[in-house]
Amino acid sequence: MKGALLIVEKEMLELRRSPALLLSMLSLPAAMVAVPVGLVAWLDHKAPPQAVYYLQELYGISAPHGLIGVLVGAVAKNWLPLFLILPIFLPILLAAQSIGGERERRTLEPLLATPVSTLEIIVGKSLAAVVPSLLITWIAAALFCGGINLLAAGRLAAPLPDGPWLFGCLVLAPLLALFGNAMAVVVSSKVLDARAAQNLAAMTVMPLLGLVVVQIAGRISLGPRFYASFALAAAAADVALIALAVRWFDREALLTRWR
Amino acid sequence: MPAILVEGISKSFAGRPAVEAVSFSVEAGEVFGLLGPNGAGKTTTLRMLAGLFAPDAGRAVVAGCGIEPRRDAGPALRRKVGLLTEHPGFYDRLDAGENLIHFGRLYGLGRAAARERAGRLLDRFLLAPHAHKPFAALSRGMKQKLAIARALLHEPDVIFLDEPTVGLDPEATREVRAVVSELRREGRTIVLCTHDLDEVERLCSRAAFIATRLLAVHPVAASEARRARIDLEAPCAAAGPALRRFGTVREEGLRLQVELADGASIADLVSALVGAGARVAAALPVRDPLEDAYLMLLADARSRGLLS
Repeated sequence: MKGALLIVEKEMLELRRSPALLLSMLSLPAAMVAVPVGLVAWLDHKAPPQAVYYLQELYGISAPHGLIGVLVGAVAKNWLPLFLILPIFLPILLAAQSIGGERERRTLEPLLATPVSTLEIIVGKSLAAVVPSLLITWIAAALFCGGINLLAAGRLAAPLPDGPWLFGCLVLAPLLALFGNAMAVVVSSKVLDARAAQNLAAMTVMPLLGLVVVQIAGRISLGPRFYASFALAAAAADVALIALAVRWFDREALLTRWR
Repeated sequence: MPAILVEGISKSFAGRPAVEAVSFSVEAGEVFGLLGPNGAGKTTTLRMLAGLFAPDAGRAVVAGCGIEPRRDAGPALRRKVGLLTEHPGFYDRLDAGENLIHFGRLYGLGRAAARERAGRLLDRFLLAPHAHKPFAALSRGMKQKLAIARALLHEPDVIFLDEPTVGLDPEATREVRAVVSELRREGRTIVLCTHDLDEVERLCSRAAFIATRLLAVHPVAASEARRARIDLEAPCAAAGPALRRFGTVREEGLRLQVELADGASIADLVSALVGAGARVAAALPVRDPLEDAYLMLLADARSRGLLS
């Protein structure tokens, strides 16, 4: 797997030198942290008492610690599924760009002419997409939890991250990052345009977004059972997609299609 | 044992034959041309021989590594061959030196060895002053020379060059041809894939004409001595008869065209003419027109439905 590590090293060097890509990778996590923290800070000062009662009733939050407890409870509950878009979306952004970029720069043939195996290329590209995405997700999660805890200083019974957030970051995020990456590899091996591959692969976040909207509307409540099932489904999808990616990322098909 | 031995390799894509039962051999140290129009299967042949994908049928041996139908030739073959792809294909955000080092390491060189060889090749191809420029900032000729340098990084036994001068301006074309000539002088085994007849005449000793199938293998260098043109300063009745023992002679005023018999040389002609009292103004080898042979073979291929 030495070839895979060399590919990771090169991808990281390229990423460091791509300000536009870095900016687009960091803007979504920045928004994912700034929006809820800002919202909690503003509501903590400005929300009328009836809004607090409404939130308590809508999401079934028991908050013995007053307004901040209700706000943090509502945000933590609703923001987690939205936050899980990050580990899906970021690898899609990186992997589709990296694989599509090989086609656009016509570097694929020289790469395939080296002794590096196709599997090493897939592993290298995948690590280069999954690892930075996960790091950014975890840093964003730490900033989110830290920001909320700071706002609520001493007024929360249990600071964030709570159980679902820990499960989301440590179990779901890696599984979803693998899913997003494998989806990008699969789509990129069939679609010739990097942007089209990004857009198509990014469509996979839509069901998650739908769930978020339904939960915010108070129609469902995503609890531990949902997250456990979601993790199992994501793991199964990972296995299937990785098998498909290895099968479709075929030397001959890539060389004859990607001209 | 030739450096490359190809026996009846075939390849189809989606049921359409790209290469059909092509056979030829290339001796070690030979520069061998693969000639044919666009879509004739030259690049497909090259890719099979460079281990990028397997043939559907037939077999080949390249630098001692076997190529079998429907089986990946594996990293062993790819380590022994260097491939110049039709497009240089480097990473834009890496500079010229970083690109070479990266590919050197992918070919299995350690970091220090890759750096040392990249530096040596950059020097050799006069690219050292541009080593820290981003790849995108290099001229087309420089990019192509960098790609040739990449094909040599791991010191391969066989080098495949796919259209090395296509799309280059005359200056860059000359630079790239000079590099190939230098490699030829070093005794490297090179397969040059092109549709440029002039390039084949300048660089190759033999050329295979391909139009899906192998049409012919034509000696290029050997053909140079098969005809000669002699210009006399003044008419000489004895000149024609004096040359007849060296081949077929056609007299056109002061010009004599000689189809040389086996073993005869231009020096023999000049010496016979001087002996016969003729005053020789010029004696030049006339190459067998590769272009004529090429066009004839293409016309034949079209009539057989091998080309559209």
